[in-house]
Formats: sequence, structure tokens, C-alpha cells
Amino acid sequence: MSEHLLEVRGLRTWFETPKGTVKAVDGVDLTLNRGEILGLVGESGSGKSITGFSLLGLVDPPGKVVEGDIRFQGEDLRAASARRQRALRGNRIAMIFQDPMMTLNPVLRIGTQMIETVQAHEKVSKSEARRRARDALGMVGIPHPEERIDAYPHEFSGGMRQRVAIAIALLHKPDLIIADEPTTALDVTIQSQILSEVQSLTRDLGMGLIWISHDLGVVGQLANKVAVMYAGRIVERGAVDDVLDRPRHPYTRGLLDSLPMENDRGQPLRQIPGNAPPPLNRPEGCPFRPRCARASEACLAEPAETGTAARAWRCFHPLEQTGVFA
Amino acid sequence: MTDAQPMIEAAGVIKNFRRKTDLAERIAMRVGLAQEPGTVHALDDVSLSIRRGEVVGLVGESGCGKSTFGRAVAGMLPLTGGVVRRNGQDIAKLKGAEARAMRLATQIIFQDPMSSLNPRKKVLEIIGEAPRLHGLVARGGVRNLVEGLMDQVGLDPAMINRYPHQFSGGQRQRIGIARALAVNPDFLICDESIAALDVSIQAQVINLLVRLRQDLSLTLLFISHDLSVVRYISDRVVIMYLGRVVESAPTDRVFAAARHPYTQALLEEIPRIDRRGHRFSSVKGEIPSPMNPPGGCHFHPRCPLAMDRCRVERPMLKQAGRDHAVACHLDGGFGRPKPTLFPTQSTLQAAESGLL
Repeated sequence: MSEHLLEVRGLRTWFETPKGTVKAVDGVDLTLNRGEILGLVGESGSGKSITGFSLLGLVDPPGKVVEGDIRFQGEDLRAASARRQRALRGNRIAMIFQDPMMTLNPVLRIGTQMIETVQAHEKVSKSEARRRARDALGMVGIPHPEERIDAYPHEFSGGMRQRVAIAIALLHKPDLIIADEPTTALDVTIQSQILSEVQSLTRDLGMGLIWISHDLGVVGQLANKVAVMYAGRIVERGAVDDVLDRPRHPYTRGLLDSLPMENDRGQPLRQIPGNAPPPLNRPEGCPFRPRCARASEACLAEPAETGTAARAWRCFHPLEQTGVFA
Repeated sequence: MTDAQPMIEAAGVIKNFRRKTDLAERIAMRVGLAQEPGTVHALDDVSLSIRRGEVVGLVGESGCGKSTFGRAVAGMLPLTGGVVRRNGQDIAKLKGAEARAMRLATQIIFQDPMSSLNPRKKVLEIIGEAPRLHGLVARGGVRNLVEGLMDQVGLDPAMINRYPHQFSGGQRQRIGIARALAVNPDFLICDESIAALDVSIQAQVINLLVRLRQDLSLTLLFISHDLSVVRYISDRVVIMYLGRVVESAPTDRVFAAARHPYTQALLEEIPRIDRRGHRFSSVKGEIPSPMNPPGGCHFHPRCPLAMDRCRVERPMLKQAGRDHAVACHLDGGFGRPKPTLFPTQSTLQAAESGLL
């Protein structure tokens, strides 16, 4: 019996607001194995970050995971006690946020924070914890970790701070890292350095990585698998080559087509008309229907997932299998 | 061929920023307890001209001075040195009505529409205020004008009485564009105007800008960190690094035959969906602080090809071809092109069909 590192089935995370129920995540299935990088792609409000938070049990009221099954190495995370969840969080499952200052305490030296993190999960001496912290800083490419470990967060540049946050996530050599747009705010040359570190770390340590991003270019270069989210659902998923070269869902095709790199200069960009639906007022049936050129009467019903465990989409009128430039 | 007078001409523009000191700090400095605050060299001898009708893309990473340059060209900042001319006239010397006309003719569209739109005003007031105050439209004609502008930027004129928070991010950016257009500018500065938008919305706003440029014969300075967007929209690309221009050339030439190692590095790092399993990172190191930039060529600590000369002597911009200028000591001051750095769509297609 093969056991996945992470298996999510029918995850629903809803927010009860005075105006109604916001179904931020509304039926998400994910599978991740060791050494794999899954790119979770979507635009703002698609529910990709809330999916990440839900996996870690970090959804605050009024939000709540109302349904679904989250299995981490076979263990049911939703049934786990708060104590057990705390023991896993930061230890076996780590998270990297978009803004490293969400992770770092501005008034403590980074060494202090890292030693604290090590000792929170393991009984080790302070000097051993410090040695591990220093090694982790070296691993993510921070020069002179022995000296820099005593610096405060503000003494680092944005890119270096994000490396510190990644080093903290790596302290316990977790089995799974969930990274929420960690390079979005960084410059391209710095982003590229961090992606390179992350890529080799995942490979070398055999971790699983969920990379949440709106940037198809980054995901295409980094990930093995892609899941595209729209309005709280995964509308298409599969191996990176399949999804990006042979998309079946019109939304994925639309996203790819609207990238400036994929368009010839002088021609209007192929744009997706309209906006993503407001979360409180999603259309009946397929949520992409009002923006979709292929929509028909059939789309008033909700499309179920079709395909295989490795490659699937939710669409009544999927695109034919074609080449990249067709 | 005689080049017409450029619409915008920046010559040797220098802008330094210095933190203001208070009395206590000045006393502390006097007795040697505190150091003089450092100077940020935001623009270090930048020269650039923009022809009428041209779209110039200004590219660089954070802290390179691209936004400061935009503000300097708009006449929003007093310069430390150098001069900005519009149609041949020094904009710092313009007075009264002329100065006002210059400012109206140059408009900026900012990155974050939420912080550049007054949340307490309705769209009607946001877009209509400037033309009304400047007497460009009679009081009774404001609503008509605003409705026309909203229609032009793809907003439903029925939403004229709504507040900014009632719009989505893309729509807010359209409001910002309509506001800029309301005073009939001929020169628009887009400062990271689409950076905060989602991919599908970004494409809509780019299409809008391209259409408006044609319809209204606008000249554009398009400031962005995103080379893929700049490639699509610009006629010419200027690349800045730490307050200096390192390369400037027509767009196709930059992408096919960039000569500066920094430009080449930026091109290699553009995230692209057609490159899987890419090994990242060809540039090492951090962007140095503009407070204390490295000597010689600012890029030398990160440059794989740096020589001794690069550490001590600043390379000046040199013509390396028609309309192509580069500031690099390599190969006699002309930089060094890197072969097949950036296959374009057409060469890729040719390769696919077996032509190459």
C-alpha cells in the first residue's frame, strides 16, 4: 500500500460573515509525495492561501474547516488534538509566508528566535540548537552565518530576511513545507537565487513542497505538478508539462494566453474578459461560466472532476489536446 | 535623417536624498557623538530622451532610481544637478501659466490605486476635480466629461457615483487612468501601474493602455520591474542599476542582443512557462545599498566578467550601434553580446517547424 506524504480530500473552509457564507475553499483535493513540488496557482481570492492555512490548522474564526479529510503520512490531521497539531507544526510541517516579517520578531536577534524554534520541538542544549541554526542559515546561502546569527531582522535586506524565514522553516528538516508566495515581493535576481536554493533543498532533503503563487512562470520552472484554483476549487491539475503545454480548462488556457511573454508585440494581449466572481455572489454551476467563451446551458450545473488521479479538470467543454502554440 | 527635437530630454540628472537632522542630532554631530546622515544617490548622472509618440520602458530592481527618475521628469522633485527639458525648455525654469500647462500635460499613474485615490470621494469627483479646477470644462459639463472618460477606459458610466472601495483592483486602476487622462496630457508616466494586478486583469489594463496610446497619440514612460510586460509594450527599453543607466536600446535589440551583463542576467531570470526544470540564478549577491554603492562600475561585485578596471573606473554610456547605448568596459567599452540569450516567439516557432 503506497502512502502519500499529503492527501487532501474534499477540503472546505468557509467563513461565516454577517453578509453570508464565504466559501473560500470549496472542495479541494490534493496529493503530494516526497521530493515533489506542487505549484498551487490562482489569482487573488481564488482560495489558494486559505488552502495552505487550512492544511496547517491556521484558519482563524470566523473561518472554519467545515469538511474534508487531511491526511499527513496517513495521519488524520483534522482529528488530531491541538497538542498533536502543535507538535507537527514547525516540526514536520512548516510554512513560509509572503512577508518574512510575519515570521520574524523584530526585537529579537534571529539567533534567539531560531534557538527557540529548535528547542520548542526537541530537547537539545542551547549550544547544539545554535549550531543547528547556524547550519540552517548557511544552507539557505546567508554569507558568514556565524556572525549574522546575532543580527536583528532589520539588519537584513528583504531577500536575506526571506532566506532567514526559509532557514527557520528548515530547522527541523520538515517533511512538508507550504510556501505562500514567498518571492512575490522580491526582485527577479533575488527571487531566482531563492528559487534555486529551494529547488535543490527539496531534492536533497526529499521534502514535499507546496508552492502557492500567482506566477505561472515561476511555477512552470520550479514545480513538478500544478493545480490551478478558481473560486475556491481546483479547476485543473496534473504534471507541469501537461497543464502548461496542453491545458484542458479554458481558464488555464486564458491565464497562459494573457502572459505578455506569450503574445506577439503589436497584437492586443489575449485577455480573459470580466473579473473573478465576488465570493459572496458566485454564479450557479461553473464559476468561470460568465467569463468563458465555451460556456453553454450545460455549465449551469456544476462540473465534476473528470480525468485520472494524476490529471484532471472540471469542465463540460474541455479544450482538445493541442500543442503549445496552437 | 534628422531627429526631431525630443519631447523629453533629461541631461546629466543627479538626485541625492539626505535625511533631515534635528537639533539634538546636530549637537551630537558637533561633539562627535553621531555621524552625519548618509546620502542616497538615487540618480547619478542619468541622461535619457524620449521622442514624441514613443513608449520607453524603464526597467530596474528596487532602489535603482527608476521611480525617482519618473518623478524628476514630471517636475515633482527639485534636482540636485542636471536638467530636464520638455520640448527644449528647462522645466525648472518655467513660470506661471507655462509651468502649469507643463504639469497638466504630464500625468502619472501610480502602482497602488487604493492609496492614490481619495477613499471619501466619488468617482465623479476623483476624475472631474482636476479639469474643473483648471477650467478645462464648465461646471455643468463635468458629469458629461467624466462619463465620456469612464467609457473610454472601460468603466460603466452608471457607476459614476460610487466610491473607490466599491471597485475591484483592475477597475480602480482604470479610474486612475481616467483621472490622468482628464486633463488632456500628451505624456503619461506609468509607475509600476500594473504590478499589483492579477494576470488576467493585468492583460486587460495593458490592452487599454496600448489602445489609449494609439487613440490619443500619447507618449509613455513605462516604469516597471517586469521585463516581460516591458517587452510587450515598449518601443525602447532603458535599464537602470543603482542610479545609473547601464543599457538603452530598441526593444527587439535588447532582447536579441543585450550587451550589458546585468541586462543579460535580468533577461535570463524572467520567469517563463516555456522553460521547465530551469536552473535558476546566474547573478550572485545582493543589490548593494544606494547609500554606499561600490566604486567603479556599480555592478562589478555581482558581475561574472568583472575586470580590475571595473572596480575603479566608471564606464560611461557609449554608442554600441544605432540607438543602442551601453555602459560596460568589456570589449573596448561596448559590452559583450551573449548568443541566443532570448529566443523570441518567431525563432521558437521556426525551431519547432524545423526551419532552424
